[in-house]
Amino acid sequence: MAFILLPLVEMMTAPSFAMLKETIKDKDVVRSIWLSIYTAGLAALISFVFGTPLAYVLARSDFRGKKLIESIIDLPIVIPHPVVGIAILSVAGKNHWLGELFSQVGIRIMGSVTGIVVVLTFVGMPFYINAVKGGFESISPRLEKVSRSLGASMFSTFFRITFPLAWRSMLVGIVMCSARAISEFGAVVIVAYHPMIAPVMIYERFEAFGLKYSQPVAVWLVFICLTLFLILRILTLHDREKTA
Amino acid sequence: MKKRSLLRPVVVLLLCATVVLFSTFAFAGPSGKLIMFHAGSLSVPFAAMEKAFEAKYPGVDLQREAAGSQNCARKITDIGKPCDIMASADYKVIDKLLIPGYANCNIRFATNQLVLCYTDKSAYADTVNADNWYQILQKKDVVWGHSDPNLDPCGYRSLMVMQLAEKALNKPGLYKQLIANRPEENVRPKSVELISLLQTGNMDYAWEYLSVAVQHGLKYIVLPDEINLGNYKYDPVYEQSFVEVTGTKPGTTMIIKGISCTYGVTLIKDAPNPEAAIAFLEYMLDPKGGLQILKDMGQPPFIPCRVPTAEMKKSLPAELQKLVEVKD
Repeated sequence: MAFILLPLVEMMTAPSFAMLKETIKDKDVVRSIWLSIYTAGLAALISFVFGTPLAYVLARSDFRGKKLIESIIDLPIVIPHPVVGIAILSVAGKNHWLGELFSQVGIRIMGSVTGIVVVLTFVGMPFYINAVKGGFESISPRLEKVSRSLGASMFSTFFRITFPLAWRSMLVGIVMCSARAISEFGAVVIVAYHPMIAPVMIYERFEAFGLKYSQPVAVWLVFICLTLFLILRILTLHDREKTA
Repeated sequence: MKKRSLLRPVVVLLLCATVVLFSTFAFAGPSGKLIMFHAGSLSVPFAAMEKAFEAKYPGVDLQREAAGSQNCARKITDIGKPCDIMASADYKVIDKLLIPGYANCNIRFATNQLVLCYTDKSAYADTVNADNWYQILQKKDVVWGHSDPNLDPCGYRSLMVMQLAEKALNKPGLYKQLIANRPEENVRPKSVELISLLQTGNMDYAWEYLSVAVQHGLKYIVLPDEINLGNYKYDPVYEQSFVEVTGTKPGTTMIIKGISCTYGVTLIKDAPNPEAAIAFLEYMLDPKGGLQILKDMGQPPFIPCRVPTAEMKKSLPAELQKLVEVKD
């Protein structure tokens, strides 16, 4: 506990109140933190939409190569972050057939919000998938089979039986994915230095002017994220108390 | 019994002492960590110098950190990172940000010039030349960029070249028109980062140093001496351009005037390993050592290197005094 708390408390208490007030008044800082929040949110949403079906299939079926697929899903967690950025940039450029296609359609990855969301989804999705897969696995398939045997369709079964039982793990997955995405730096800084997400701004300010100038931004980012995640957790706790 | 048991430990101790003494003898001379902050454009030649220097002094571990030159200076002044040697793409950065608080000397050792780099996959690669580059950079489908003027001399030098081009071509408003087609997303903190963007096809054109273009095998447009910041004889012309960049404190700014590209190197006061630092500078400023490597890699060195005053020459360590001349 102390290992986690000590450096964090040190960082949160270092800037003065005046410095914190001045920092949050800076338009660039507010823009940066907002960009971080909504790109992470978008990444979580994309993970939710595309990751849920994949997690369901992995939880329910067994097939040859399943372990390989699960390892591939875990790869983004293991790859060093700058390597992720370089890999995405290589695919996004005109020298790659996919990048050429993007450029023709007018999609720009380097230095754009699209690029940031692509990177954040890449690094955050494994967290979502693993959390939700665990959730699905904890639901007995017998419940679904009963529902099917009573005449409900696959979709109906999923939304009326599986989803209500699994939504908490989906929420946990979304929280994990967003948390991972909001703190991402190494991959994003290679793909998009501008527009500037909060971790890049903190790094730039640190490199240019040192600790005193960059710490307040970090404090605000941590504070805002903590508040958001706390609200999310409280919403789920509240419901649990109701059902109990 | 006591006499026998005393003899053995004493012999063992003596043996250990001999081994320790012998090993310190073997590593006599410069040894240990040597920390260097240098400009990104010096990465390739300094990597080669590092290999040669460490082969000569195996006890030394040269640890280099490349960044925009102002960034390098700020790591020393604002963040207080320990450093032995700082090499800048603009010697004026050392004068403005490091002297006198963090350094006493400033040795000018090489020149460079700005070129417009591209690859054969760049848009309009087959038609671009020294006469139409400014028209191509204004096209909407061309992605081009430069490094951050606040962190990297190559950034403000790129802007200066474009200002000088406006004057030389007698096209008022050209500079503003060019910048209008260069969104902030195309600016990176360090000029060498632009190269990977060029090579992956994420960027069509980038302003770089000639040496960097040569070292990375990029295509480039050579510009006339009046605007490329490469010929000190044109300094009065270069002075007509200027860029405002962030100053020593956040919120402040300073004006940098155009001048020919001159690289400088300095030994930091309170360097953690001055012995190894002086040994490295001795190698680097040697016309047959580091300066030869620079020459081979497309970056013309000053032979010999220069310091502005006799007073500064006298303040240098004895080994380095014979490698520099006094020249303003």
